[in-house]
Amino acid sequence: MSHQPVAIVGIGQTHHKRKRADVSIAGLVREAAQRALEDANMDWGDIDAVVLGKAPDLFEGVMKPEMYLADALGAVNKPMFRVHTAGSVGGSTGIVGSHLVSSGRHKRVLSVAFEKQSEGNAQFALGGGKGASIGAGGAFAPFIRAYIRRSGAPEDIGWMVAVKDRLNGAKNPYAHLKLADITIDKVKESPMMWDPLHFLESCPSSDGACAVVFTDEDGGKAASKPPAWVLATAMKSEPGWYSGRDAVNPQAAHACAQEIYKTVGITNPREQIDCAELYVPFSWYEPMWLEAHEIAAPGEGWKMTQSGATALDGDFPVNMSGGVLSSNPIGASGLLRFAEAALQVRGLAEDHQVGGANLAIAQAYGANAQFFAMWAVGSSLNPLG
Amino acid sequence: MADTVQEFVFNLTFPFTRTLGSTLSTFSSALAQGQIIGVRTGGRVIAPPLEYDPDTAADSGSDWVRVGPKGTVSTWTWVPEPTNLHPLDHAFGFAFITLDGADTPMLHVVDAGSESAMAAGMRVEASFKAPADCVGRIDDIIAFVPATDPSPSEGAGEPFVAPEENDITEMDAYCDLTYVDNASPTTTMWAKALMEGRIIGQKCPQCERTIVGPRGMCSVCAIELDESHVIDVPDRGVVSNFTIVTPVQYHGQTETEPFVRCSILLDGANAVIAQQEILGITASEVRVGMHVECVWAPANERSVQDIDNRSRGSGGDAIIGWRLTGEPDEPAENYLNRMM
Repeated sequence: MSHQPVAIVGIGQTHHKRKRADVSIAGLVREAAQRALEDANMDWGDIDAVVLGKAPDLFEGVMKPEMYLADALGAVNKPMFRVHTAGSVGGSTGIVGSHLVSSGRHKRVLSVAFEKQSEGNAQFALGGGKGASIGAGGAFAPFIRAYIRRSGAPEDIGWMVAVKDRLNGAKNPYAHLKLADITIDKVKESPMMWDPLHFLESCPSSDGACAVVFTDEDGGKAASKPPAWVLATAMKSEPGWYSGRDAVNPQAAHACAQEIYKTVGITNPREQIDCAELYVPFSWYEPMWLEAHEIAAPGEGWKMTQSGATALDGDFPVNMSGGVLSSNPIGASGLLRFAEAALQVRGLAEDHQVGGANLAIAQAYGANAQFFAMWAVGSSLNPLG
Repeated sequence: MADTVQEFVFNLTFPFTRTLGSTLSTFSSALAQGQIIGVRTGGRVIAPPLEYDPDTAADSGSDWVRVGPKGTVSTWTWVPEPTNLHPLDHAFGFAFITLDGADTPMLHVVDAGSESAMAAGMRVEASFKAPADCVGRIDDIIAFVPATDPSPSEGAGEPFVAPEENDITEMDAYCDLTYVDNASPTTTMWAKALMEGRIIGQKCPQCERTIVGPRGMCSVCAIELDESHVIDVPDRGVVSNFTIVTPVQYHGQTETEPFVRCSILLDGANAVIAQQEILGITASEVRVGMHVECVWAPANERSVQDIDNRSRGSGGDAIIGWRLTGEPDEPAENYLNRMM
């Protein structure tokens, strides 16, 4: 299969908050999109196609928002695509945008993803509109309990992730939570939400949006700021529920990672990848995903957290942006991971920049840990030399 | 008994809210005062105003313009038999109305009495609710009615000066949706068994997995399963994993205290029934490895009205929950990984 190279030349995001009372949904997505266009030194008219992603429509109660938002995002007389893959949708939205360029069909594509959680209630929506919703935390807590037992990880690993990601978030001007004074004690003393997950080990509920502008190779070379190059993309799915399924270690996660590493030529992810944005809505997903994406050996992921390897100044920084634990506009959360990886290899991540980042990965997952999206981005088309 | 359950009726309600943003806040706040406004952008007046020029996506700015209250119908359709969801309880028209001072039409209701009174080019004027009842919603305008005087609206097209701060920045968007879920053949079998005090599964002939809360298919092998694959499974087992949910309060929430949902590995069946309640102990006392047995509602009190085609393993009101058998716990590590 031959693909055209794809460059990321514009990235924008909103200031994420519990409630963005100052904007409509259209205003929210436009805020992110306009920042991305400005970053790309482009205007609405320069865009050939628009891709929009968000999580279930029941979150805001606006059905098929792509219809209402087409003209708000400059898609009049242009193709507009709606993507939905649950929590991984932001990642998928970026990947679909990149494919519209890599296929040679379009030269400049805008991907936008959002959630305005304050307009509804995620627990209500995830519970299908009924009482006694277990929510995402309730769904994932058993997986985490199984991981802790099988890996033998000490209980403070989750607390460490919660602290580390919030300290990173405090360096990110767009993050919802900026908890610069968070401590291990504060995390473990916060209320138990979904045993073994404490309140401060859980993601917030946020309003926010993220946007990315993709161009072809010529556009990347002509860009006024350094571009990021999309080196590989992968999306994999598996059934959410079947008898005996091991949701701690989904096959789809492994398949995603293997495809990315093979495409880029990565043989030692821990050594060759400079940093990663992983979808960690609950603290323990950091070690779980390090293992399921083959960055750490089985049972060894928590040791990377414990040793400080995943801290901003570690040898394998994870969630430099503060991650989902610091901002969770659900539909946008995947694209925020993907965009942060690109910011890092562009060298534009400011206070949360990893020095010399040339190869970064980003990952998102969704539903019952069954939809996976992943990409690798580089400061050049061949960062491994 | 195949007709035990035919359909499930669900009602979905939620008080969504909308934040309006500056443009729609200005429109709503003016509307509540009986003034309709548009915005001049790209050389024309768009009413109601948008935050952006719909042709170019450029910001539309804040050059507000008074429009209406009279306007001209450009096209219309007639609703001869309104439902309870329509804005009027008698026959009416939906119409595109270009308000005086505006260059684009808005969609609203025309209360013209009869279809024969409707015509493209007809002059209409806004009929507002009483001022005290106006809250900035589009239905503050009850309807447009044929204009008694077709002459142009006074003041239309003149600038509108918005207040420093708008009164109305949010709006309720109440959702009330009733829908019917027709029971699949598999759900019907499941419900019938529950009513008889039995738990059934479907066993895949290829991978030999047993799916409790059967789906009519094996998700792994992607093959159809039918009545011939149904097996009875024990109503006893061991808690293999669980979640304790601290309930957040939302519209429709039924829980106020932490509650438990367990996966139970059924004895001898190599199959898990998920999302089950444990009776007789507090949430914090639940442990992996506990032996439990099903507590059935008395036969004459069983109901399956609350299950649907997607709620795998839901016992409706036929299964009250599961209680401890009193046998010694099994080692947790033998069970924990059977989340499913």
